[in-house]
Amino acid sequence: MRKDFRIPAIVILAGALLGLVFATYSSLDYAAHLDRQLHDVHCSVIPGAPPQGEEGAQGCRAAMYSAYSAVLKGKLWGGIPISLFAQGCYAFFAGFAVFLLVAGRRASRSAAEFVGVVGLTPVLVSVVMAVISITQLGTFCHTCIGMYLASLLVAVGGIMTLWGASARSRGGVLLPIVWLGSLGVCTAAPAAAYAAVAPDHTPYLSSCGGLKLAEPPPGVLVSLPGNRPLQPALMFEDPLCANCKAVHLRLVQEGIIEKLDTRLALLPLDSACNWMLDTPLHPGACSVSKAVICAGPNAREVLEWAFDQQHYLLRAGERDQQQGYKDQRTTREVIRLRWGDELGKCVGSKEAEQRLNRHLQFAVDNTVPVSTPQLYLSGRRVCDEDTDLGLRFALTRTAPELVR
Amino acid sequence: MNPYPSASAFDVQPGEPPSGPPYLGGVAGLGAGLLSLLIVLVLVTSGVSAAAGRLKNPGHAAQKPAVALADHAEVAYCTPQFKQVLQRVLHSCGLSDKTGRRGCQPTDVRTFANITDTDFNALFTPLKDRGGVIMFDVSGKDLDDGARQLLREKWEARRGARYFFIVARASQTGTSAKNRALSHERANSVMFFLQELTRDPDLDKKVGMLWLGEEYAQLSTEYCSWSTSRPGQKCNEDAINRTAFISWVDCRL
Repeated sequence: MRKDFRIPAIVILAGALLGLVFATYSSLDYAAHLDRQLHDVHCSVIPGAPPQGEEGAQGCRAAMYSAYSAVLKGKLWGGIPISLFAQGCYAFFAGFAVFLLVAGRRASRSAAEFVGVVGLTPVLVSVVMAVISITQLGTFCHTCIGMYLASLLVAVGGIMTLWGASARSRGGVLLPIVWLGSLGVCTAAPAAAYAAVAPDHTPYLSSCGGLKLAEPPPGVLVSLPGNRPLQPALMFEDPLCANCKAVHLRLVQEGIIEKLDTRLALLPLDSACNWMLDTPLHPGACSVSKAVICAGPNAREVLEWAFDQQHYLLRAGERDQQQGYKDQRTTREVIRLRWGDELGKCVGSKEAEQRLNRHLQFAVDNTVPVSTPQLYLSGRRVCDEDTDLGLRFALTRTAPELVR
Repeated sequence: MNPYPSASAFDVQPGEPPSGPPYLGGVAGLGAGLLSLLIVLVLVTSGVSAAAGRLKNPGHAAQKPAVALADHAEVAYCTPQFKQVLQRVLHSCGLSDKTGRRGCQPTDVRTFANITDTDFNALFTPLKDRGGVIMFDVSGKDLDDGARQLLREKWEARRGARYFFIVARASQTGTSAKNRALSHERANSVMFFLQELTRDPDLDKKVGMLWLGEEYAQLSTEYCSWSTSRPGQKCNEDAINRTAFISWVDCRL
């Protein structure tokens, strides 16, 4: 007795519709950022629900700004988000599920085999993306989790159709090829539509100003040379700023950091040393900045440690602030425990204080915005929005050697 | 997507009632697939077009919040009056970059500052903790070790300040002309040391020099309590005026 395809078809349809909803939210969030502004993102396993505060949205932002969120990033500002391919794919499976549902017992073995095999592709892609999330981003995007679940439903439904499919007639030999072709067309169509209407960002790339001084004073800034430096770069960073961490990770993921001969100007957003602020945005950042300065050739290692331990270091800084420790002794102790007495002593020295002061004076001499991070290539500022979604596109046009 | 099944794709067993026309499943699937795709395409293109529109014509809501620009410190003692005097002195006496002049003589200061001696000194009172007093020997212009040490300390404590001031004086012992020259030499001694210390080619743009001789804004013994280069030395009216007052000034002009 042949099994009915109705239940598997309903499972596939449910998965496809769920995936369609999540992928559409994801694509629309991505598309909204094409105006170069910041927008809220949907980031919940409940379709359309708002994220639980900014922290709840962080996973989705991290995924969206990552190198893995889109393809053809060098050709199109922000690239073509992969969620568009998911939308097309889920639209196909929604149609195919309706076909199985309506055809019922008339559906052939080849239809069952097709959906049983090809229905695994979304879940395989999900597995790849989940591994990337864990290993590269260190966080999960809730909307992506929704898509993972949807792909699992499609795969489960597909496998269910295989049960008892052998009792059916094979059906048309060419049909699987037609379906596969249709799947390809469906998958590519949203991406093609997106690319066709996406605006050109080239005129906006050089709209963010530049440095007044071409050359920083020799020996003042921190040198962070990459392995294969091709282009000098200047960055203003605060080791305790979350966006600095995100941009740094992006430059690492894109393999760009190794092609830069970076000079780092520290701009801690901490009023303990930065007179440009009335209150500390990142308490403890002054001491951590001094640690980066004191680290000399190990500056990148200390900087990356600070990025990695931002939450913990900020808590230490907050404690210093609450206790009225102007010397930031708690933060300095955390630094000493990790990097040893010599570096700990250096952080408390007048020399480190003066050098950090020269970094801040360099910011003043250039009248740069009191914000971090800032990336300058050949004296021109790379706009903030071009350091996240548009990074590859901007570099392809302004410094193509970095993205080759 | 076109999942039209051929007639052979439908597997109807003998005796089973057909559940509808053989092409119904294909048509329904195709219709559902196309409808889904159409919805996706409409949503995507409208989302992108809306963003493109905002990019081209950013509304007020899209204006980025103004970000402060990095600038020098501006603290409470930078009163309008203080800044006015500071500005006059700096611009009129010149930081030597534009006018080729360096420093101001007592008559210049009196003219440009346009305030009384007492008011002039009072302007610098808030700099008690920020500044220091370099003391010199009678008729002397050379810096001793204590003077160098204090100068180094004060110079290195720049923080966000823009200008460094040297205000040299002489006691009222001797002629006015001699004291004017002596206070000039004292100011120069400080400046030369800073040049040696910093090797900064732009030092002239940071340091403002005034030499007041004995004629203008003499200090009272009240200033003996300030941070001096000779903390153990007896301080009287003569001693406190054989000095150069030094300080960074945390004001924007």
